[in-house]
Amino acid sequence: MKRTLTAALFATVALPALAATEAEVVTTYADLAEAGYADSLATAKTLQAAVAALIETPSEATLAAARAAWFAARIPYQQTEVFRFGNPIVDDWEGRVNAWPLDEGLIDYVDSSYGEAPENPLSTLNVIAAPEITIGGAKIDASQITPGLIRDTLHEADGIEANVASGYHAIEFMLWGQDLNGTGKGAGARAFTDYLQTEGCTGGNCDRRAAYLQAATDLLVSDLAEMTANWGQSGAARAAVLADPAKGLQAMLTGMGSLSYGELAGERMKLGLMLNDPEEEQDCFSDNTHNSHFYDGVGIRNVYLGSYTRADGSTVSGPALADLIAARDPALDTRLRAELDASVAALQAVKTAAEGGLAYDQMLEAGNAEGEALITGAVDALVTQTASIERAVAVLGLTGVAFEGSDSLDNPGAVFQ
Amino acid sequence: MKRSALLLGPLLALTLAAPVARADVAETVEDHILPGLARFTATTATLAAIDSCEPEALQVAWGAAFDAWVGVGHLRLGPVEEEGRVLAIAFWPDPKGMGQKQTNALLAKADPAVLEPALMAEQSVAVRGLFGLERLLWPTETATGDYPCALTHAIADDLARMAAEIDAEWRASFADHLLNPGPSSRYLTLTEARQALLTTLITGLEFNKDARLGRPLGSFDKPHPERAEAATSGRSTRNLELSLVALRSLARSLHQPIPRTEAAFDRVLANVAKVDLSQVDDPTMWLKADILRQDITAVREAVMAEIAPALGAGVGFNAADGD
Repeated sequence: MKRTLTAALFATVALPALAATEAEVVTTYADLAEAGYADSLATAKTLQAAVAALIETPSEATLAAARAAWFAARIPYQQTEVFRFGNPIVDDWEGRVNAWPLDEGLIDYVDSSYGEAPENPLSTLNVIAAPEITIGGAKIDASQITPGLIRDTLHEADGIEANVASGYHAIEFMLWGQDLNGTGKGAGARAFTDYLQTEGCTGGNCDRRAAYLQAATDLLVSDLAEMTANWGQSGAARAAVLADPAKGLQAMLTGMGSLSYGELAGERMKLGLMLNDPEEEQDCFSDNTHNSHFYDGVGIRNVYLGSYTRADGSTVSGPALADLIAARDPALDTRLRAELDASVAALQAVKTAAEGGLAYDQMLEAGNAEGEALITGAVDALVTQTASIERAVAVLGLTGVAFEGSDSLDNPGAVFQ
Repeated sequence: MKRSALLLGPLLALTLAAPVARADVAETVEDHILPGLARFTATTATLAAIDSCEPEALQVAWGAAFDAWVGVGHLRLGPVEEEGRVLAIAFWPDPKGMGQKQTNALLAKADPAVLEPALMAEQSVAVRGLFGLERLLWPTETATGDYPCALTHAIADDLARMAAEIDAEWRASFADHLLNPGPSSRYLTLTEARQALLTTLITGLEFNKDARLGRPLGSFDKPHPERAEAATSGRSTRNLELSLVALRSLARSLHQPIPRTEAAFDRVLANVAKVDLSQVDDPTMWLKADILRQDITAVREAVMAEIAPALGAGVGFNAADGD
């Protein structure tokens, strides 16, 4: 999840004297981030409780409740993805929380068709079945499955990014299991009996599986608490963007553009379509990808409009990037607003089709013309808005120069220097 | 009279000195992009025209097509971004081994319908293009039956089709978007067109550093020569070198003079000659290859210091953004 951040990062060029307005706009941005991570944290705590209930009393009902809580938790979180690019403090943290794709055989049992990944000898480790494991030649005691074991030993084990042991998608795998339907209908179908602590346990090692699920969920909660605090009134992420509002505006536009183009339109949508691979969808176990993409798109628009509708239905809003652009180039503002609406509408069309029975992985199937048209429509809309986001960069006088590539990884602080 | 003589002096001096070459968007399109695309079209057509199943002849023609692709592969804009063509032409890196997996499945099924051009164009990008051909031309297991050769010809035809389409679309319309920016163009201003080209230069440098070098280098303790691009056919280092040569050509056509950028390119190209990416499991070779990453960073810095301000442009968003 940590390929080089080749986002467009722009050197500072003196801005017109509207610093107060810019500071207000960046403050709104930080407020949106804080609210988004706070909602992510709150819904993750609900998930944590539902997971505890599932482990306490495994049943169809408690499993369904845990899955519903996971779905709900994705809604605010995906709207925060736009904060990732352009904010090193988020980007460095994000891999713990939302990494994918994963070689799930690292964690638990998998189907015999799974096969070892060519570049990952740990892709069939199955730690749930193995109290003692070997990673990179070293023997490790895994008799207790704890948040620490997941975070420090298993996650990105051996330096391999596909060894995703924590975050939403690891939990998703624990709740759904593998989706063995390929590009056909249906999501993962893990049975609640995988968590039975008495006779009738399926899949073996139900105690260790329960411990894993609980530990991974606890870890998600603590990671989200950390990021919520980072955007609080005295948090480091807020301080970083407010220290120089021009850099804050850069972070906002970098996030919008990088998520629109390289990440969502490219990596997540077009690539999967071109590979016709059902596993090339972000929420591949639960068939929730349409929602993840949709809320990514909504999050991009939130940042531009300076407004976020919270999980409880209330709204956080304030002076917006849109106001700054409208003051300088009303035509661009009109255009970008329309393009952001169009991409959200195109992603809504994907979501509507998925909810109507054409799951995202079915859209990826070779020769599925309807699915291809839906995905291509969203990709095109995202590509279109990227050009206007670049124009917004120019209109604000932020076009300029510095191209930060690996520097932003080697030295996260460098981006804000 | 005196005044004009005074004026004439510097003018004459200017004329007598080495002429400053013209460079900008138009020169880049005419001198760098269109000739490169023509070469890619011609070499892929030559490859597709081979009827035999003789691996040597196919390998040579494939190599020429790959050379030509590396000359234009950094131009990630316009027609090549349509219909997933860039992915289909060169699906790499492929950390999950999708190409081998899907190629094996195709060979096992040996479905003659897949060989039809319309269906081949619909196949997964992982089995098509230059890397699909590399797997068939340097097979890990001895091929049996007629199907592998027929599949090779079908993929070569598909590749030549894409090359010809990209070439034609550039000439018919996309070049015009760059050359005549305005309300009806993809680029509203000349600055936007310049920025699009500058972005391909910077992204091309990044790809060489992060993928062509970064993947085989891995870490000092854990190098991965087998992860180098086109390692099976032994083209890894050649691709890196040819790409850098092409990027220098792009830089030269974007702006002149660029002494600092030229010096940085001279340095990396001198050093690349000392490197063999298939040998990076040797610590000395690893260090030599690692130096190339620093050299490329220096080229990028030179471009940003010298060419970007001259064009009044920055680096735009690109396909490599993201994680």
